[in-house]
Amino acid sequence: MKLLLKLLILTVPISFLLMFFVLLTEDKSYPGADYDTYNFPKFELETLAGEKIFNSRIEGNDLLLNVWASWCITCRVEHPYLMKLKRQGIPILGLNYKDEREDAIEWLNKYGNPYEDNIYDYKGSLALDLGVTGAPETFLIINGQVVVHYQGEVNEMVWNEVFVPAIEGEGLF
Amino acid sequence: MKIIFLTVFLLSANLLSDSIYNFENEEDELRFNTLVKEIRCPKCTSGSLSSSSAPISEDLKLKIVQMIKENKTDEEIKDYISMRFGIDSLYEPEFRTDTYFLWSAPFILLLIALTILFTRRSG
Repeated sequence: MKLLLKLLILTVPISFLLMFFVLLTEDKSYPGADYDTYNFPKFELETLAGEKIFNSRIEGNDLLLNVWASWCITCRVEHPYLMKLKRQGIPILGLNYKDEREDAIEWLNKYGNPYEDNIYDYKGSLALDLGVTGAPETFLIINGQVVVHYQGEVNEMVWNEVFVPAIEGEGLF
Repeated sequence: MKIIFLTVFLLSANLLSDSIYNFENEEDELRFNTLVKEIRCPKCTSGSLSSSSAPISEDLKLKIVQMIKENKTDEEIKDYISMRFGIDSLYEPEFRTDTYFLWSAPFILLLIALTILFTRRSG
């Protein structure tokens, strides 16, 4: 009995130390990345050009959805990389987030437009339904389902390590 | 003249007393006030929705008001938020497979402590 007690006194704190060591030193190199799979939420909004846009634009499609705004500085930093992705033939849909329509159109005219279309989400309702906390954020959508949600700027490194594995697994683009 | 003054005065007081969110009854308002204290602001390091006026928190508060008006239960509202902003958006984590240990750890520790105490006494 005494031996058991001594063993307990020794093993319990050690196992706790080990547990915290493992949990706290876990190497999450991309904390902005989330790989939960879920259906794209239903929506009914306008495009920047003023046309109606619904779920049907996304259902069954494979594409990248990028949340951006003309007031967002990181979006400006991210922009050249999105242009590069567009040149590579990646279909990108924009989600213009809490922006003024004129400002957004002017921004695209000034810097170039990497988007096939832009959902104009003035109130941020679709963004809220998607779990967007700010801009920029990027979603990889495969067959109408969100498979990657990335918070923050997409650049060469993030693209290669977060998005490319998911895309190659599906043999897309 | 006096009557006009009085009406204007009373009406303006009434307008000022209007809260930001309109609820149908006090119970709903109470539910709202409890929920915003139990849900974490997605943009803050540690702060509840009630303590935050970040744009995303304001949006979430409006969404909660809307869901309360649609007669959604507290569970449904919490599920909506934790599904989108992660399980750590709830201050009190739900009892699920990956939180069994978290919830049972205090009891396990208590059991170990009691065992040690009693074995010592008897020994």
